[in-house]
Amino acid sequence: MASPLEQYVNTVRSQTTNGSFRELVEYLSKTNDILQKNSQHLDNVLETLDFQQHSLGVLYLLCAKFTYVTPAGQDNRFTQAQEFILNCNGEQIRLVPDVFADLCHLITKYLLEIKQPMRGINLMRKAIFKLRLFDSQLTSIHADLCQLCLLAKCFKPALEILDVDITGICQEITSSHNGSQFDAKYFLLYFYYGGMIYLALKNLDRALYFFEVAITTPAHAVSHVMLEAYKKYIIVSLLLHGKEQPIPKYASHVVNRFIKPLSQPYSTLASAFELNNTSELNNILTKHTDIFVRDHNLGLVKQVSSVLYKKNIQRLTKTFLTLSLSDVASRVGLQGPSDAEKYILHMIEEKQIYATINQKDGMVIFLDEPDKHCGPEVLKELEKELCLCMELDKQILTMDCDIQVNPQYVRKSTGTQDDEQPTKSTYAM
Amino acid sequence: MPLLLSNTMAQNAIEPMQVDAPPEDNDNNEEETYIVENPSLDLEVYANSFTGLAKLYRLSFIVDHCPSMRLEALKMAISYVMTTYNVNLYQILHQKLAELTSSMCVPDVAVTSTSQDIPVIDNMWMETRSKKAALKLEKLDNDLKNYKANSIKESIRRGHDDLGDHYLDCGDLSNALKCYSRARDYCTSGKHVVNMCLNVIKVSVYLQNWSHVLSYVSKAESTPDFNEAQTQTKELYQVTITKLKCAAGLAELATGKYKSAAKHFLQANLDHCDFPELLCPNNVAMYGGLCALATFDRHELQKNVIFSSSFKLFLELEPQLRDIIFKFYESKYASCLKSLDEIKDNLLLDIYIAPHINNLYTQIRNRALIQYFSPYLSADMHKMAVAFNRSVSALEDELMQLILDGQIQARIDSHNKILFAKDIDLRSRTFERSLAMGKRYQRRTRMLILRASVLKNKIHVKSPQRETTGQSGETAVAPGTSSVLLARN
Repeated sequence: MASPLEQYVNTVRSQTTNGSFRELVEYLSKTNDILQKNSQHLDNVLETLDFQQHSLGVLYLLCAKFTYVTPAGQDNRFTQAQEFILNCNGEQIRLVPDVFADLCHLITKYLLEIKQPMRGINLMRKAIFKLRLFDSQLTSIHADLCQLCLLAKCFKPALEILDVDITGICQEITSSHNGSQFDAKYFLLYFYYGGMIYLALKNLDRALYFFEVAITTPAHAVSHVMLEAYKKYIIVSLLLHGKEQPIPKYASHVVNRFIKPLSQPYSTLASAFELNNTSELNNILTKHTDIFVRDHNLGLVKQVSSVLYKKNIQRLTKTFLTLSLSDVASRVGLQGPSDAEKYILHMIEEKQIYATINQKDGMVIFLDEPDKHCGPEVLKELEKELCLCMELDKQILTMDCDIQVNPQYVRKSTGTQDDEQPTKSTYAM
Repeated sequence: MPLLLSNTMAQNAIEPMQVDAPPEDNDNNEEETYIVENPSLDLEVYANSFTGLAKLYRLSFIVDHCPSMRLEALKMAISYVMTTYNVNLYQILHQKLAELTSSMCVPDVAVTSTSQDIPVIDNMWMETRSKKAALKLEKLDNDLKNYKANSIKESIRRGHDDLGDHYLDCGDLSNALKCYSRARDYCTSGKHVVNMCLNVIKVSVYLQNWSHVLSYVSKAESTPDFNEAQTQTKELYQVTITKLKCAAGLAELATGKYKSAAKHFLQANLDHCDFPELLCPNNVAMYGGLCALATFDRHELQKNVIFSSSFKLFLELEPQLRDIIFKFYESKYASCLKSLDEIKDNLLLDIYIAPHINNLYTQIRNRALIQYFSPYLSADMHKMAVAFNRSVSALEDELMQLILDGQIQARIDSHNKILFAKDIDLRSRTFERSLAMGKRYQRRTRMLILRASVLKNKIHVKSPQRETTGQSGETAVAPGTSSVLLARN
């Protein structure tokens, strides 16, 4: 075994037993070159260290292994990494969250290369549990998990994470570049992938929320993730609310200035949709098919066009009590009465409208909505919603409290007085 | 009943032709006659109610829009323009006249009757007139310089005003506006300020700069001495206030704010309505009446229009409009709408209200539909169609639009053609609303908390100069997107 590596092992061992982890981290962050030079011997070193006891040392070794080693024969990297993540010492790795997250990114990249995303899902979940301090803390591993889930088309494990609203963000201080904190890229990716997962599961409300977070992220430059999120944001708001939701005021000016013009086809789509103009919408659809296909949004756009028919039928229910099927077809822009019947039947089954079809004389009779708001269930739901609101309110109050007692805030808000005192003393002198 | 329907339909069909409107219209409306065969007298009446540029503009508007009276209007305009220094307009009018006469030479029937009095372009006049205008301008300019040298404030103000008047006479609006505005610095009393405002308002109306009009109206109204002045010269005060109200109403009308326009016009006073440079009392009645009809609800209409002692006098000038308003109030919509259609052509020849006629008419019609239905629980659409001179299917479309806009709470039974009032379940709607509100609150609060931590952690997208992080983000997106698409399909 080469001597630098021996020294590496010795330092790791001695520092760990001393409990002086900070010095160890400082040493380890400088060992990159050594590890790179001796990359062929890394396996031997790994054997000498204990995953549980010397988590820090192993972490750096594994990172180096994923970065520099290109295995010729049998590839044991993944199993080693899996074993490490399951057994490592949480306290130690939390000292270097950036390196740990990097390792996870590397693993994800590796899994994507060998096209086995399913294998990583559980591992990433475990990694998140190790790294985060509380349930609602965001780490950059979240984005990896979502990406793996999307590719594996297995959404359940991600939901468990996604359903928890983020309230804090893990400080992944990367030592390599000067103190840059949590990378915006992973933040955006998490919300973009998360939105897509919800979209795939037809939870449109939540999907819209996620895309909105993505497009309101502070920005000085155009991010491709934001651009794609904005396109999907338009489509989802059409599907959910029937019109293009305005972009929140606090969104970066980048969105209005650069991203909007870049998604022109989507805006025209939205304006046609808002005018309830089916023929125009279909024109736009055929005209911009290339773009929609390129953006991988064609499926969504097709949904938009079928939703427009439904929306128009819903508008009819508001204005008519009875209407013949052929009238429905002509008013909505469908081909004929049979198409209209199909749509209406669908909508009745999905409880989107309340109506009966009389096939004898071809009339549709629109009924009033049954009274939904009575009975104990409603009360229960109401109470549940109230609780949620109060909980959030409490959270805001505690946040406010935290700010009030924050020393920095106190100093700043009373700053003027502090400034005056020294001047007074100078006068006294 | 069907007979009557077809009858009115036939009338509607004629109207676009304009020329052969039924002669009965002559009796009750003096303005009506100027589209009929023998317009000379009434066009004169119409033209005589205005002076200055207002007259010229209105006449040219008629020239542009009414072929049957084009010649008459042109002649009148030309003879009037010769009393001013407006050589430019003179040339333009003659150009139009030349076009008209050349086109009329082909059907020589019309020429025989009118050829003897077609004015010929007078180059001499134009020359002398321009010279005179230049001379006068020079003199006024010199005067102003003298006043300025002596720095007598009052004289300087008058000098500016005179110069403005002269520019206005020459048709140079932007310079006129400049001069009138310059007078502002030399105003010493509230009266002068108001006078300056009126001048500026006048020119701004000619320039169709409506926001300018409104700001100067409010400036005049807030002049401190203006309100005190009313005690001294009540007469003058009334005249000024009416002028201001008319100008404000006109500006609001032109910008499409019909309700406030109606309110302004309703405050005008007939005895003091002396503003021939802009409006005649008939205009005030027409503009105010139509705007009120289109935007006031039944109660407001009764209180502010029908029972208004001052506006009643205006309405007397336009008996047909008065009848329309009364019929509307008495819910006789068919005849009301019919009379409205009859006066439509006249209104289309009015420079200021013409662009808004269609809007106003639709609003009046919608209001009528809403009011018609308001007392009923269910209404037979056949009867309704008769009352509104419409086919049932057209009425159905109209009603559908109103229902979708939320103006009528009703649903249509298309099978039996009956309109049913919808009873709104307030209780369940309240539940729905409050639940939606709760959801919205939760969403916003969550976003807020998240955003707080985003800002705290200083997350923001930077341009990728140091590293290629931005690019790698892009490549990471692509595989995910395609997979979602697959998953959905």
